Amino acid sequence: MEGGAVTTTNAEPGTPLDDATLVGRARDGDVRAYEQLVLRYQGPMFRLAVKMLHHRGDAEDVVQEVFLGAWRKLEQLSDDQAFVGWLYRSTTNRCLNVIRARRPQADVDLDLAESPRRDARPEHAAQVSSQLAALNEALRDLTPQQRACWLLREVHGRSYDEIGQVVGANPTAVRGRIARARAQLAEVMKPWR
Amino acid sequence: MAVNQDYELPCGRELETVWARLDEVGTGHADEHELTCPHCGTARASLLALREATQELVAEPDPAPPDLVGRIMSAVRAEVRRGQMLDLGTPEAGGVEVSEQAVAVVLRYAADAAGDVRARRVRVRTVGVDDGGASRVEVELTLAVRLGNAHGGDSLARVRELVTAAAAARVGLLMEKLDLLVEDVYEDAE
Repeated sequence: MEGGAVTTTNAEPGTPLDDATLVGRARDGDVRAYEQLVLRYQGPMFRLAVKMLHHRGDAEDVVQEVFLGAWRKLEQLSDDQAFVGWLYRSTTNRCLNVIRARRPQADVDLDLAESPRRDARPEHAAQVSSQLAALNEALRDLTPQQRACWLLREVHGRSYDEIGQVVGANPTAVRGRIARARAQLAEVMKPWR
Repeated sequence: MAVNQDYELPCGRELETVWARLDEVGTGHADEHELTCPHCGTARASLLALREATQELVAEPDPAPPDLVGRIMSAVRAEVRRGQMLDLGTPEAGGVEVSEQAVAVVLRYAADAAGDVRARRVRVRTVGVDDGGASRVEVELTLAVRLGNAHGGDSLARVRELVTAAAAARVGLLMEKLDLLVEDVYEDAE
């Protein structure tokens, strides 16, 4: 039987299933259930990856690898409720790996490597305020670990405990990184106060 | 806190304290120090600008490329886990097999139709073959039940009835045993 033909029809169409149910079904090999999870979480993961990497092409690659890797490793996930935390951890770690691999390159190369997709959305660029542009720029000057912690907290609303699990640090260390990031970002925002 | 000592303002307050009290001060609950301290005032203005820009960042429309889901799912489908195959009885020459996954989908669909329950994992185990060549199977079905379902027993009985019927009528398997495991509850909003 082809994988694509493995379908699940919900008894109540339109009622979104909870994560644990979808993960349980996906673990059984139900591709349609997994597709629902991909649809639900690819946006936040892409958003995190773009802000971590400042490169849409690399972010797409990371997100694709994260979801394919999660599909392969679903058997290892002991708690179906932990799926989202697992995605955040995987996305963050892959982004940090990409950044580590980039290190030898000069920053200017990264600027040139920026995906043309951003340019293909001029209407969006026009809407971005100078304040937001400054913040985006300042994010690049944080260390990758600080950037990850700050984004997970302030943009994705994760708890200190969750972030600690994502980046492999205790909550106190996470709090410290976020505090340092916030101080640095606030400094950059001075002209807009 | 030790981790924040690098960000102590000249007045002795830590930047984190200023951050934590932004709303407090904004709603007119500033303490004596906050009302007069220029250092705190300067830090507060920068942090407010940061908070405003962060809110813009959160609200910024930055969707993933529309073809990303398609690419992910193509890669996933290329790695579909087919699992074990089950023999189906047939009077004709040659065997017919169906994957456990496909059977699981049929059984989950039947269970969902009972209402107030959601089927999760399905385990199908072949325990023998009947005279007609059809597989005799034992099935374990894990379920989540709707919170507040006052007729849980009735729901499970209905699941049992529908799943057993679907196994026979839609897949041609003889259900020797059906274990229903309720492992979770869900709320209507989920």
